[in-house]
Amino acid sequence: MSELAFLTIAEASTRLARGSLKAIDLVEACLARIARHDGRLNAFVTLTPDDARAAARQADREIGRGHRRGALHGIPVGIKDIYETAGVRTAGQSHLKVDHVPTVDAETVARLRAAGAVIMGKLATHEFATGAATPDQPFPPARNPWLPDRQPGGSSSGSGTAVAAGFCAGAMGSDTSGSIRNPAGWCAISGLKPTYGLVSRRGVFPLAPSFDTVGPMAWTAEDCALMLDVLAGHDPLDPASARTEPVAYSERLAQPIAGTRIGLVKHWYAHDNGASADVVQGIDEAARVLRGLGCVVEEITLPDLLDYQACARFIISPETHSIYRRDVDREPLKFGYTTRRRVQIGAFITSEQYVNATRFRRKLMLDTETAMQGYDLVMTANHWGPPEGFDNPPMFLFYGKPSLPNPFNVTGQPALTVCCGFGADGSALAFQLAGRAFDDATVLRVGAAYERATPWRDRRPGL
Amino acid sequence: MSASKSDMSLDEFRAWAGRVGIALTEEDIVELHKGYLGMMKLAARIPQDWAWEAEAAHVFAPPGGGRR
Repeated sequence: MSELAFLTIAEASTRLARGSLKAIDLVEACLARIARHDGRLNAFVTLTPDDARAAARQADREIGRGHRRGALHGIPVGIKDIYETAGVRTAGQSHLKVDHVPTVDAETVARLRAAGAVIMGKLATHEFATGAATPDQPFPPARNPWLPDRQPGGSSSGSGTAVAAGFCAGAMGSDTSGSIRNPAGWCAISGLKPTYGLVSRRGVFPLAPSFDTVGPMAWTAEDCALMLDVLAGHDPLDPASARTEPVAYSERLAQPIAGTRIGLVKHWYAHDNGASADVVQGIDEAARVLRGLGCVVEEITLPDLLDYQACARFIISPETHSIYRRDVDREPLKFGYTTRRRVQIGAFITSEQYVNATRFRRKLMLDTETAMQGYDLVMTANHWGPPEGFDNPPMFLFYGKPSLPNPFNVTGQPALTVCCGFGADGSALAFQLAGRAFDDATVLRVGAAYERATPWRDRRPGL
Repeated sequence: MSASKSDMSLDEFRAWAGRVGIALTEEDIVELHKGYLGMMKLAARIPQDWAWEAEAAHVFAPPGGGRR
């Protein structure tokens, strides 16, 4: 049964279409793994097995009658618990929302259901996608399936854990400041932060509206493309939603990558007190593989990582405060102790500081675009080294090293996390590929080609 | 309040917090003061003097294209 649970979306979809696999068997295989392992990993906060079985049987009936809806029909998918789901609690890992049962699905959840995906349940998150994993929150934190005494990364923590552990084939995450790419990297899966505005955020708890993006997490870049085929598209009820021409992301994967020009941003991570030697070596090797596939990979220089960090903090903090101020004032103890302070600090950012940060954001966007001239993509580290444990989380996100995923939240560019091996301690290594705005297809195509050329997709955590 | 926000004392911060008008415990204030000083170090990276016509980021129309 376990082998079925490790099928990629592409593999399972092919078998479902041929009739050599039933969706109900796939769902049962995932449920069996959840029953066996999730008591230790805590990926799901709410499991909906009856609904999942009913949806799987419905998918089997439709596919059997020749009414296959597409690549996601019958595919088990998990949803981060900040996405509203009709009739299913959406708590956002907060006591404030622990009884919140929405009546309407988030737009992306509705799109997944319409495509025939089987919703398995709700996945662990950090509180409102910003708090640290602390014990004063409603549900136990998800654990890293590769190193269960470590965190999976956040805030889409359960999404990373569930996909890597074979609990579902795909999952939804959100990324305001790296929250898809952190857990994707540390869980050795693929995760795409789409271009800002490409995927609707309607029905997803907001954190910082000018930064919030939602996107797919799956075992491979190909699977992320299959999910993006369904997720992307204009939503007139999301004010940031872009009016773009439809793109068949999965079909574009077949195009050659030879000649793709990639700027390697090594100065962000390869320096004293920078990324671990394993990370640096892993990315050097990944660049060699990409050159072998015909890409041109050359070092380029982008603005200082701390510039993006400063810009992001002075925009995200007041935007977050503006959303949660009333709640944190009325019921502060319903917030975890880190979440509460991360919300409150936004009250101390002046309007002038906020506006100057938005001006600085425009400068960074233009400077990044200028530095990328002549290149299709940029490549850099996804994380600094092994994932953190559970003790003593930092009160504020800027206390440690600057976030490596964060620059592409500032610029709004699409960015994909790609696993490039494992360190000496067994922790996953990963790099990011970031493209031009709305060129998510190139990001996915190069990521998928790299995955096909390397052995890292053949290894799963030994639970 | 001191001239430089980057060296604001805890007492100065506490007084300011009282005027901001949000409900805070003493423990909140101590943690927020530390966080605020950290934020002010980052603030040094953000230019403060902009031309009057300098615009905010157009996240709704990124430089790379795309209609909204």
